[in-house]
Amino acid sequence: MKIVIRTDKLSKYYGKGGEIKAVDELDLEVYEGETFGLLGPNGAGKTTTVRLLNCIIKPTKGTATVNGYDILKKETEVKRVTGLLAESPGLYGKLSAQEFLEFMGALYEVSDDILPERIDDLLKLFGLYERRDYLLEGYSRGMKQKILIAAALIHDPPILFLDEPTSMLDPRAALMVKDLIKKLADTAGKTIFICSHILPVVEELCDRIGIINQGRLIAIGTIDEIIAQTGTKTLEDAFIAITGGIEEKELLAWREQKGASA
Amino acid sequence: MPAPKWLVVARNEYRIHLSRIRKIRPYFPYLAIGLLAIYVAFIAPSFVSLFIGDFFSLFPPQAALAMIVAVMQIMLFTIFFYFIILPITYTLKEVQTGQLEIFLAAPVKPGDVLLGEFLGVMPLYAIAVTVIAGFFTAVLNPLGLDLAQIAIIIITFAVTLFSALWIGTVIAAILRTRLGKTARGKDIGRALALVIALPMIAVMYAIMGGGLISALADPGTSGLVRAILGVLPSSWGAELIVSFASNPGNIGAVGFQTLTRFGGLIVFFVVALWLGAKAANRAYSLETIAFVASRAKPDSAFYKTINYLGGGGSFGTLLVSVFKDYSRRLENLSKIFYMVGILVLVNLLIARPDDPEVAVLLPQFILPLLAAFVVGEVTLRGKEALFIYKKTPSGVARLVKARLLHGLLVVVPIAAVLTAVTTILIPETTLISLLTNTGLVMLTVGANVAFVLGLSLLNPAFSDKSGNYVLNLMITMQALPFGLFLVPLVVFGRVFNLGLYHVLFFVTVPLSWLVGIVFLWLGKRRLSRIE
Repeated sequence: MKIVIRTDKLSKYYGKGGEIKAVDELDLEVYEGETFGLLGPNGAGKTTTVRLLNCIIKPTKGTATVNGYDILKKETEVKRVTGLLAESPGLYGKLSAQEFLEFMGALYEVSDDILPERIDDLLKLFGLYERRDYLLEGYSRGMKQKILIAAALIHDPPILFLDEPTSMLDPRAALMVKDLIKKLADTAGKTIFICSHILPVVEELCDRIGIINQGRLIAIGTIDEIIAQTGTKTLEDAFIAITGGIEEKELLAWREQKGASA
Repeated sequence: MPAPKWLVVARNEYRIHLSRIRKIRPYFPYLAIGLLAIYVAFIAPSFVSLFIGDFFSLFPPQAALAMIVAVMQIMLFTIFFYFIILPITYTLKEVQTGQLEIFLAAPVKPGDVLLGEFLGVMPLYAIAVTVIAGFFTAVLNPLGLDLAQIAIIIITFAVTLFSALWIGTVIAAILRTRLGKTARGKDIGRALALVIALPMIAVMYAIMGGGLISALADPGTSGLVRAILGVLPSSWGAELIVSFASNPGNIGAVGFQTLTRFGGLIVFFVVALWLGAKAANRAYSLETIAFVASRAKPDSAFYKTINYLGGGGSFGTLLVSVFKDYSRRLENLSKIFYMVGILVLVNLLIARPDDPEVAVLLPQFILPLLAAFVVGEVTLRGKEALFIYKKTPSGVARLVKARLLHGLLVVVPIAAVLTAVTTILIPETTLISLLTNTGLVMLTVGANVAFVLGLSLLNPAFSDKSGNYVLNLMITMQALPFGLFLVPLVVFGRVFNLGLYHVLFFVTVPLSWLVGIVFLWLGKRRLSRIE
């Protein structure tokens, strides 16, 4: 199988002397057409990894290739072949949904011949066609998320990075997005890189997953392989076992303080 | 062929800035050009003709020319500075880096984004440039300038002001990147957005006070001010315009000045463009600069004192919490600094009090706004912040009490110090004047705090952009200085022949407290019912 994302000791350090290792020597391969999930607790390095792979920030050391393009040498080409749904992107509140998608299409050089029709199709897909002229500042969080997903798809890229794609959606919209992701992978042959800590989403969508903690990739494989590696029964148990959890006896320790029992 | 990226960004920026008039946006350029043409051809010359003849007949030619030089220098400097700080203020008020991610993930160069952002707002600033250039051209037209001179003047205005706009755009982009990544940075941004205007206000006050223009027009004085202004590109344009005015219709006579001043401006613009383009990579980056999160230190003696003043116990802790939440926002501190700055500038540049009565008069007009800034932010953190109090037993009463005490402890000492210093600086001030002024201002400003707190709860504003917030500021600025001070001063002064101090002591102070307490009660009632 063709490898479309390959990282080679990819690292991003911050602070004096690089004492904060946001991503530390990440070695990863993602295959064409697969849906890969990167899991990790908050602050594990998921978003930093996605930003590195999208050339938004530069690695401290190491490198990566995306669709064969080196992220250090071929920034523009990498950006052309990827679509990104960022974790907390800024929308232009003073633009309508239609105007925002026109803007995104123009940034990604989508031909004027197909852009209007594509915008209409995406807005219809996400149930926002009737509200296409409303300013985005009046949209709910879920509706904004839908527009951002549409924006990530606007240039129909072969590789999609989706950072928490369903986190703000209601169950119906989340189901639609999950079905869309499946279709994009299965029918359209897209490679999809999902970051999430919503385990059921990852379980349902991803062919393989990687678990990252404190910047280091600590497990990789199919869900069954990871469960088997940890000797647990569910992905949740495996995730807790790998990343470390809170022991049950600590949870109520605060009640044992002096005076609390009164 | 796809459109150039800078054009895509510029079009987007233009759309954003005109979103309020979306319905007429397609016709806006034609409308604007038409109206500006009418302004330049008819309105500006007609307006200027109302006073220009009198102006030239009032002064001898040399004095009139010196006056024009001074006015030109000041006006161009003010507008130059304004065009720099406007994009900065606009950006700093709400520093957002989320949109940066969109640009950085897309195949677009930082230089294109910067140029696009600049060009996107340029048409709107061009309206202001046309208005200004049209006015000055109308002023200079009676002198008999030829077409080439007028053209150069218009280009000079455009180059000077667009240089300033470009510099402002670059600085704004860099500041957004530097400040937008942390909550602390955003707070610094909002704080800077307000105080950055103070130098320009100082210049405006200096003009209003009459000192600056006459000083600049007087060849015997103000060497330093003139030298400082002369270094700025805004003055090069002013000098060029004045050299044309001295030699109307004869551009050859001022060829050297034209070459150096106009050429200098063009070089300045090109260099600014080049440096800005170089800075673009720094201006658009999501690289984390600092990982150091702000940490709270153990309570200092100050907070322990506040706790003590709050009676200790749970209310003391609540009062300390209100103080901490308030004082750790630089935005709040900058508002205090801004108001103190305004009062100082008014005293120094406009009022220049030489009588203790003036020292007690000015605070009546300026300090209500300080009270509005300090206690008016009680609802700005949103309904959810108020619901925390509503959920707790006797929470509403405790919130009102804590915010009132907080307001009094912040505003009254500042008012006292400012009034005392202003009074002391007046020659031959007596101790009685000092104590009377300080005491009266403390009493009135304390009542102002109660009024503003009540008003802010009665008409809650959940954002400083909301109409309610602006309305509350307007009411504060009108009701307190005029309704409770100036009107009683005029009425009681005429009817009972009372002087300033008597009106303040016997009318303004009791009336202010009465109104303040009523508003406080109404505000508390409203907060109890808010949903």
